[in-house]
Amino acid sequence: MNSLAQRFSTTSPLAHFRKIQRLADEDEDVSDAAWGSQAGFGSLTKGVPTFTVPNLPDPTAFLRLHTDDHADPNCRIKIQHGTTTLAFRFQGGVIVAVDSRATAGSYVASGTVKKVIEINPYLLGTMAGGAADCQYWETYLGIHCRLHELRNRERISVSAASKYLSNLVYGYKGMGLSMGTMICGWDKTGPTIFYVDSDGTRLKGDLFSVGSGSTFAYGVLDQGYRWDLTDEEAQELGRRSIYAAGHRDAFSGNTCNLYHVKEDGWRFIGNFDISKMHYEGPGDVPGAPGGGYGYALRVEGKSSANPPVAEAAA
Amino acid sequence: MATSSVYTPAGFNFSNQIRNTFLQERGVPLPKATSTGTTIVGCLFKDGVVLGADTRATEGDIVADKNCEKIHYITDSIRCCGAGTAADTEFTTALISSNMELHGLSTGRKPQVVTAMTMLKQMLFRYQGHVGAALVLGGVDATGPQLFTIHPHGSTDKLPYVTMGSGSLAAMAVFESGWQPNMTRDDALNLVKAAVAAGIFNDLGSGSNIDACIITATHTEMLRNVETPNERVQKERRYVFRRGTTAWKTESVRKLIVNEETTIIGGDAMDTS
Amino acid sequence: MSIMELNGGSVIAMVGKDCVAIASDLRLGNQALGLSSNFQRIFPVTDRIYVGLPGLGTDVHTLWEKFRFRVNMYTIKEEREIEPETFAHLVSSTLYEHRFGPYFIEPVIAGLAKTPSGGVKPFIAATDLIGCLNFAKDFVVAGTASSKLFGMAEGLWEPDLEPEDLFETISQALMNAVDRDAYSGWGCVVHVITKDKIVTRTLKGRMD
Repeated sequence: MNSLAQRFSTTSPLAHFRKIQRLADEDEDVSDAAWGSQAGFGSLTKGVPTFTVPNLPDPTAFLRLHTDDHADPNCRIKIQHGTTTLAFRFQGGVIVAVDSRATAGSYVASGTVKKVIEINPYLLGTMAGGAADCQYWETYLGIHCRLHELRNRERISVSAASKYLSNLVYGYKGMGLSMGTMICGWDKTGPTIFYVDSDGTRLKGDLFSVGSGSTFAYGVLDQGYRWDLTDEEAQELGRRSIYAAGHRDAFSGNTCNLYHVKEDGWRFIGNFDISKMHYEGPGDVPGAPGGGYGYALRVEGKSSANPPVAEAAA
Repeated sequence: MATSSVYTPAGFNFSNQIRNTFLQERGVPLPKATSTGTTIVGCLFKDGVVLGADTRATEGDIVADKNCEKIHYITDSIRCCGAGTAADTEFTTALISSNMELHGLSTGRKPQVVTAMTMLKQMLFRYQGHVGAALVLGGVDATGPQLFTIHPHGSTDKLPYVTMGSGSLAAMAVFESGWQPNMTRDDALNLVKAAVAAGIFNDLGSGSNIDACIITATHTEMLRNVETPNERVQKERRYVFRRGTTAWKTESVRKLIVNEETTIIGGDAMDTS
Repeated sequence: MSIMELNGGSVIAMVGKDCVAIASDLRLGNQALGLSSNFQRIFPVTDRIYVGLPGLGTDVHTLWEKFRFRVNMYTIKEEREIEPETFAHLVSSTLYEHRFGPYFIEPVIAGLAKTPSGGVKPFIAATDLIGCLNFAKDFVVAGTASSKLFGMAEGLWEPDLEPEDLFETISQALMNAVDRDAYSGWGCVVHVITKDKIVTRTLKGRMD
């Protein structure tokens, strides 16, 4: 009875879907196929791409059963979860730093993942949770940001872009989407960060970190964060925070990708090996302290457990 | 107190039970034990019995041991093939082997195969299938050649040709089509080899080599790796690293040779002239 | 989450020409959180036998103390040092005693056995958590990175490696395997046992 009532209710997500599908059907006379490839994004006139939803009375419950491993750890579709991403706002713009490890269970599936998605020259999105979900929807967001520019003759605000994404994923709430992302950019209001996740949460803030290693990153970030950080100090703080998370968290690591967003758009600062940062430091880059981040350097020769090299050799 | 830590009673120790059941109730699965997802066979012939086994041991989907021994010694003229939880087959057969030795010494006679069979089935029944051993027991005694299978819960069969383990279906197919009463020794050995080979090639839980054991009234012949159909070919490349490839931080050397130097402190040197 | 993944850790042992090597990582974690990068899980049993105990951290120590006690009792009773094969059976029966409430450890044993002619013979063995012995002629592995170690060792190992070459082979096999395992790593230690010395080295492994 409940499901029957839901089928005809206008507020349920299901009703939302039926509406979308109806709209899509009505729109058939202006086929996009005429414009060549739809690149997987379907018709833009329809507003929202239409996914095939399982033909069941309650597709949400069905999809949760098979995709949401919070509800059922034995679900069929495994989504990668381990990650550390961070972004913070300061006097000189926005720093975005992420690790590059992808794990499947305990297996390190890749150490060279790009977890920063370059939406357009002024917008960056970070990737935590389902890689495919983040990639697809943030690319899709990029299309709409461009359309916004064409329609309104001005760049979309970070606020509007993030709200677009958050409304989109909210439409699929409970169906297994998994993303925790930060939409970072520079608009009329200055440097801006929005946290958006697949639950539909959307938060504006100065400083965020997302993923399994976020607690470690926050530890370093909170300790070193000030609004009036110089560009070099801020980049170093982002790098150092990702290093801390990569070191302590089993599901984060390999390398750190660092971005800096300024008034004229984002700039890629560099890729830094976390293990190299441990032993030797990030190399010859602005803000680097010289020497490794690892604590071995800080205790050497200073306690009986770490005698000076000469003494140990004797 | 001192005695309690030195003396441990014989048999199983359940001291970790409370902790482990607590963990299990919290939804932590127990790690997999090595099992022999095996092909083991046995068949009677004119003057004795032939036992056969593959040599693969698995841990889940990993091949843990590529050449293990599954034909276990019971007495000089009795052997037992084991399938199931590898540790269980190993320790049950070792226990029964030692009890058979004692039994032989106390009766002063060569023990019978049924005796081993009864000991095994009584032990397995007592543990209600928790000791996961599936066995093929064969041997020759005063009553002639004998062949049994023993299931983990303690049931037994007495048949002229038997198979056990995950490859038992493939092996039994060979026996059903090829077994005849009163076979010669060579025919029986070839049939057993064909049966195990069927398991090795058609069952993923079985693999590597064939072990066989021929038991007659006068002689027991253990044929370890009688056939090696899965020999690994020579590697086409060597992967030896140049010395000094691996970066290391500290080194400590523990010398086992004690250098002894004799220093004469006082007195004259011994007159050796 | 499996019990073996609670603290993480892996061990590998390999046979060489008149030598054996045993190596492990140094991580002790609480699931994803790394706690220690200096957790020794390889212990010297005698001058020529080492045992590696990957698995649950608490059982590493409990079991090692149990082995130490039993080896000492053996040495006193027999008035001689225990041989590697005998020690392997000691390990096996100690674990099987706990068949219905096991220790969550998969021991790896490496040592040099004495031959009647006065020489030495390399010996390695591993058991599962209830004591099923696996005597291998080439290499044995255990722990959270075991599947990756199998792959590395299967590819890199070859017979009759000299001690220095064996060190490189076992080190590369271990380091590359634990770099692909989230629960192992944080530094490595390698012991190469030869007739007249044991060389122990800590490796410069990835720290993430």
